[in-house]
Amino acid sequence: MRFFTFHLMPYNKLPDDFEENYGTAWATVPNSLYDPVYGHELYNRFLDELIYAEEIGFDGVCINEYHQSVYGHLPSPNLMGSILARQTKRVKIAIIGNALPFYDPPTRVAEEFAMIDVISGGRLIAGMHLGGGPEYDSFSMNPTFARSKFQEALDLTVRAWTEAGPFEHYGEHWKLRHVNPWPTPYQKPHPPIWISGEDSKETTALAARRRYSYLGSPYFHKSFLKKNLDMFRKACKKNGYTAHEEQAGWLVPIYVAETDEQAWAEYEKHLFYFIRKLLKGLMVFPPGYSSPKSIARIGMALKQFLANITTREEIEEGGYAMVGSPETVREKMKDYVQDFGVGNVLGLFQIGTLPADLTNKNMTLFAEQVLPYLRKELGEPATDEEISNALATS
Amino acid sequence: MNSVTESKFIDVRGKRTQITIGGAGPALLYLHSAGGEVEWTRFHEMLAQYFTVYLPAHPGFGDSRGLENIHSITDYAWHYVDLLDVLGLETVPIVGFSLGGWTGMELAILRPERISKMLLVNSAGIRIPEAPMGELFSDDIEKLKSLLFYDPNSPVIEEAMPLSYEDNRILMWLKAREATARVGWNPYLHNPRLPDHLFRIPCPVRILWGNDDHLLPVATGKFLVDALPNATLEIFEKTGHMLPYEQAERFVEEVRKFLSD
Repeated sequence: MRFFTFHLMPYNKLPDDFEENYGTAWATVPNSLYDPVYGHELYNRFLDELIYAEEIGFDGVCINEYHQSVYGHLPSPNLMGSILARQTKRVKIAIIGNALPFYDPPTRVAEEFAMIDVISGGRLIAGMHLGGGPEYDSFSMNPTFARSKFQEALDLTVRAWTEAGPFEHYGEHWKLRHVNPWPTPYQKPHPPIWISGEDSKETTALAARRRYSYLGSPYFHKSFLKKNLDMFRKACKKNGYTAHEEQAGWLVPIYVAETDEQAWAEYEKHLFYFIRKLLKGLMVFPPGYSSPKSIARIGMALKQFLANITTREEIEEGGYAMVGSPETVREKMKDYVQDFGVGNVLGLFQIGTLPADLTNKNMTLFAEQVLPYLRKELGEPATDEEISNALATS
Repeated sequence: MNSVTESKFIDVRGKRTQITIGGAGPALLYLHSAGGEVEWTRFHEMLAQYFTVYLPAHPGFGDSRGLENIHSITDYAWHYVDLLDVLGLETVPIVGFSLGGWTGMELAILRPERISKMLLVNSAGIRIPEAPMGELFSDDIEKLKSLLFYDPNSPVIEEAMPLSYEDNRILMWLKAREATARVGWNPYLHNPRLPDHLFRIPCPVRILWGNDDHLLPVATGKFLVDALPNATLEIFEKTGHMLPYEQAERFVEEVRKFLSD
């Protein structure tokens, strides 16, 4: 069992009328709302929170890529990842991931990920992602080519890491006469690959076929999360093997305080800032981004999506967030982890407007009073060797 | 008054293509819109009283295959060059609605001798900077209703599109959206090179436009009537983008009159 601190790096200073007067937190949310002087403080604070995760015993830190968004104002996770590679010594740096179709040519991913892996001495987890639905608007990129671009870019990246250059690549989307990235990754044959993102059959089938790790969409009702994880494990079975728990992750907002009541009193408004303001417009499925069947399936599940949840009771019932005293959170999380069968927990300890002092207290209480218990109940973190044995790495 | 219709699949250079043929009289090729009206609808039946209507589904729409080999609107146009050959239609009049109008113009540029006359109905393909187009690729059904119809409460809307994810037409609708995006995501619903080639379309063109089309503003029709060598324009008042649904009788009468002149 491994525990990661995941950070969205949200923009937490939006006007009070944001819900009424701004249609979305993505793509067209006006950047006149951004204050770079405040942003200076915010980026550095968020980096401190990730560095603190190492001090208090987390196994890894986690960041992702978001464009033209207040949900996370983090267009380049590789910039943040390289800072973390230098400022931490032990933790895994999980970048989940790079939105492959947005890198042109995609050998840039092979280069930048290899840099972070080399700087960190082999601590990178290389996430590969299709890019978010709204981001196809941000870049006016044709979403009907998303999947074939992703596939080609993924193949090319892995090939660039495993086959000596220079070689030629003549694909549908990129024609490259001299593929020969410097540097090559520290981890051999290459860093572990996580496939994150939307829960289409196409994505789970791909991760299963290649024996990568799979991280489904967060923020859905536990029954939908379970269904997606089961869909992934079924796909692994179809490929003739049983999924290793290391191949599955669960991303969830977590808040721990002294008592259940105190936890909710401190947390509720910050969580609802996230739900009402930052999730606005995230669930957008541009045409062709997933198959019509997958889009219809997710479309029908939107009632079970956190953005449409309005009460604390629904949050507790659906497992949308783990909130409470250390006892409450550890009992709950133990059940969820066992039910989901995941080997990686990606906790969001900062969310919405949650301020630095409460984020710090939350992380400290979790690390001191929840994490050791869960390790005892659910097992120590897998070693690198165990993980590379469990996952195909070519 | 039901015409005899036949739905089948034909092979068009390796693309399995759904086509419905119905009615009697001279041939008419109907090129459908982004909405994907590939099933026989009320106004197809009305057209079939005067014409033998050929209603193919573009690759990626309905049960037509081959979207993977479509990379731009020009690929659609070449598909129709091939389809005319397969159907043995030497020259034919076209009715093209929205995406179908755009496809029709591109086809007429490639093979002007094959197109005898063309009706363009609220046609895509042209961008007028001063008259911005609406946002078609939204998945907000309520917004789409007001974008596409003069009266967002009109009963004809139900004929034209699914009203929720529970509607069993949703898969076909999502397929139609995907195929439209394939050729019309960026550049958005137009070909920046098209205006320079419009002079190559010599046939008589009748342009019909809804004055209240919020997706493709009527300014586009006014541009086309000047840019095409041999065109006239008819503006329908109190009509939105979905003109053939909203004004079926008048639309069919326009087609009949123009093609029998």
